[in-house]
Amino acid sequence: MSTSTDLEPRPASFDNDPTKTIVETRNLGKVYRDFWGRKKVQALKSLDLEVRRGEIFGLLGPNGSGKSTTIKLMLGLLFPTQGRVFVFGKEATDVSKNERIGYLPEESYLYKFLNAEETLDFYGRLFDMPADVRRQRIENLIKMVKLEHARRRQLKEYSKGMTRRIGLAQALINEPEFLVLDEPTTGLDPLGTRDMKDLILRLRDEGKTILMCSHQLADVQDVCDRVAILHQGELKELGRVDSLLKIQDLTEIHASGLTDDAKRQIREIIEKSGGKVDRMDNPTTTMEDLFLEIVKESEQRPGRRGGRGGN
Amino acid sequence: MRLNPDHFWTYSEWLFQHNALRDGAILSVILALLGFVVGYIISVVKHGPSEGFLRVSQIIGQLFTVDLPKMSFRRIFAVAKLAVKESIRKKILVLIAIFIVAMMFAGWYLDPNADYPARLYLSFVLTATNYLVLLLGLFISCFSIPADIKSRTIYTITTKPVRPLEIFLGRVFGFAAIGTLILGIMGLLSYIFVVRGLDHDHGVESIDPSGRSGETSFDNRHRHTYTLNSEGRGTTNEVKGHRHIVTKVGDKVVVGGPIDDLTARIPIYAKGLSFTGRDGEINEGYNVGYMSEYQKYIEGDSLSRAVWRFEGVDKSLFKDVMLYDLTISAFRTYKGDIVTPVGGLIHFRSIDGKVKSEDEPFKVKEFQVDRRSVRTKLKGFIEDRPADLDFFKDIAPDGNFEVVIRCQDRGQYLGMAAADIYLRPADLQFWWNFVKGYISIWLQMFIVICFGVMFSTFLSGPVAVIATVAALVLGFFGFFVDDLVETTSKGGGPIESLIRLPTQMGSQIDLDLGNEALQTGILMVDRGILAAVSQLRNAVPNFSQLDTANFVAYGYNLFGGLLARHLTIAFGYFVLTALVSYFFLKTREMAA
Ligand SMILES: Nc1ncnc2c1ncn2[C@@H]1O[C@H](COP(=O)(O)OP(=O)(O)OP(=O)(O)O)[C@@H](O)[C@H]1O
Ligand SMILES: [Mg+2]
Repeated sequence: MSTSTDLEPRPASFDNDPTKTIVETRNLGKVYRDFWGRKKVQALKSLDLEVRRGEIFGLLGPNGSGKSTTIKLMLGLLFPTQGRVFVFGKEATDVSKNERIGYLPEESYLYKFLNAEETLDFYGRLFDMPADVRRQRIENLIKMVKLEHARRRQLKEYSKGMTRRIGLAQALINEPEFLVLDEPTTGLDPLGTRDMKDLILRLRDEGKTILMCSHQLADVQDVCDRVAILHQGELKELGRVDSLLKIQDLTEIHASGLTDDAKRQIREIIEKSGGKVDRMDNPTTTMEDLFLEIVKESEQRPGRRGGRGGN
Repeated sequence: MRLNPDHFWTYSEWLFQHNALRDGAILSVILALLGFVVGYIISVVKHGPSEGFLRVSQIIGQLFTVDLPKMSFRRIFAVAKLAVKESIRKKILVLIAIFIVAMMFAGWYLDPNADYPARLYLSFVLTATNYLVLLLGLFISCFSIPADIKSRTIYTITTKPVRPLEIFLGRVFGFAAIGTLILGIMGLLSYIFVVRGLDHDHGVESIDPSGRSGETSFDNRHRHTYTLNSEGRGTTNEVKGHRHIVTKVGDKVVVGGPIDDLTARIPIYAKGLSFTGRDGEINEGYNVGYMSEYQKYIEGDSLSRAVWRFEGVDKSLFKDVMLYDLTISAFRTYKGDIVTPVGGLIHFRSIDGKVKSEDEPFKVKEFQVDRRSVRTKLKGFIEDRPADLDFFKDIAPDGNFEVVIRCQDRGQYLGMAAADIYLRPADLQFWWNFVKGYISIWLQMFIVICFGVMFSTFLSGPVAVIATVAALVLGFFGFFVDDLVETTSKGGGPIESLIRLPTQMGSQIDLDLGNEALQTGILMVDRGILAAVSQLRNAVPNFSQLDTANFVAYGYNLFGGLLARHLTIAFGYFVLTALVSYFFLKTREMAA
């Protein structure tokens, strides 16, 4: 149960700069209850985070860690049982914020009996867009997600990847300032994944803010500016991707065209100056390492880890 | 079919004289309070007292500050269009095929020997359409939002700038549109079915030596007799609720298609009916006991008479003749001669009684409408002196007059009620009355859709169906509640009954708690509760009241005032269900 302090006005700091913070969660928690009000799952525990304008923010975590729950709370699809969420400085349940949001759900929750054009037209109308604007955007989006050949087919005939694409197009119909993508790359082929990542980066460059969650750690590493890692509803890690992944006393050397002799010499130089060569080969996806490490660690001791990356 | 006095109320009479507006306002206030209290209780359980209150106020406030003003017709239209598409892709139109099959079967089973085949046909198509369309409305409305929630498509709706009311309105309008389409098609098919089913021809079987009258051939299980005027034109008698036009073309007599079976009479009813007894004293009419209770009787060969008072009859509706219909019945105290009908006398007179027409004898046509007429130029008496009269100059200069009926035969009785005589200006087009009948059905369907969508905003599909049906059944049996409220004398109201039950106090004994103040307090609270309950009962629709199929089937014009009332009632339910849906959609966690 929330306390009455929840209803106090927002702190001055936020109002001073509403242009910089798109989403702010404060002490956000969610308990799923059953019909009788009995507690089923504590899906999210006192989450504090901010998504800032112009960044790509990644939400990571194992299955069932509360990523989708967080997103649904931000969109007003769920109501918090503790704390609050603000989107564009407004309560997440405020409908008018949706004008500026695009949402790609984790699965395709579209009307299967509509075709691509009808789908986009329908959602366009929901944004109260006049017919000519709608027509223009539908044209562009269908081209962008490469569904020209299937524009008149009902969605129930679509493959998984095609469904994902039309879902994305649907999320972009209102040219949102803030895009929420729940696992954008699942179901996409490598080419599609590449396209999606390029698109996300391009949208960021256009000044949009993107919140995404994904299991595709390489993808997250490629595109995200900052990430939060959740585990069993708790925030484990929050920070810039580059600083999170940078291990301070580890130097990585990438070089090509080295002869075995040259390699030996480099090894010698390192050892001479007191260093030790741990490994000298192609680097792995270190996001994955970080992720696995965090998960393993949290299973041993719950609670927020000692901060690593700067915010 | 019996027309009740309330059927004739004009719209404004209903609204103001009969307190529909006041009752509606009271009901709104009660429902608003009830809604607020229930909402508040739920909110307090969830959020605690102070925040609970704040949230409820917020939701109410937002309705007027943002949710209503920011409504967009484009969004409503989008949701409606989706609802239509959804229904069509669910192959709802198969219903029409079912309907056609039903009509084909009916074609075999509708009794061709019926006295009034038109009634039978019309009742059948109207009732069948009514049930099918209500079922349709029930199912499409109850399952749609729950399906959206189950398939989670609702996520992509509520994360768009769609407001709760728009979801409700879009759905309701969409389903109403699909219902309209289906109803329209069914109506057209029904019309064709009825007209074709009743159509038949007769040949001429025999012609009287005079050439002026004769008998038609026996077709469609009946025959007519006919008479022609000097110009060789005329009609047959009425059999099975219809007549034929008969014309003489050269030497041949030609019988046309059936007329008068599909009509829309516009009855003008009397404002009141009064009786005098056998000695000329004013009374309420005689009661003959077991017979129909709505009719009262006058005694034959005495001073006993029935007097209808007509007011404000528009003379421009009648030219040379004034048509009127008589549906009175006879009660025989002796059955000596069963074949000869009981006779009566009828005359018209001015309100002051100074001017009256000659008595015209008639024979009672039992179980039939006696179509009669009176010429506007007629013979009569002015202050008992014979005179030639003009109906609307001498008898009814301001449109007010009286009709007096007496019974001629000693020992016999004639029975009548206020609605048993009515004037008949030119009939309305039947098809228009038919359309009005369908508008009635449409309104019922609309109410069902409103309730279905409302229940589906917080119940799962099947439960919403049950809830909607329960509401309708409750409405249908609403008069039980009326009984409950009216028979307060037996055992008292809820609190009093609660005292009486455990103490096993019989309902004959007066309540005696030994405390005067407490007792009056209880009685007052009880009365309040019962009054509120009787108002609340109006919150569930009473479909028997909205059913107007009989008007069409029996060939009465469906009064505009009645339809306007039903429209108002439907609108009331629409607003009520919209508000309830708003609160549920607004407070519902779509992803929970
Ligand atoms: N509607 C619900 N009712 C009850 N519990 C739920 C509901 N939705 C989610 N949960 C529970 O909440 C927890 C978090 O779920 P959530 O969907 O947020 O996880 P996630 O991080 O998105 O997982 P995934 O990577 O598999 O999508 C899980 O334990 C889940 O079982
Ligand atoms: Mg998820």
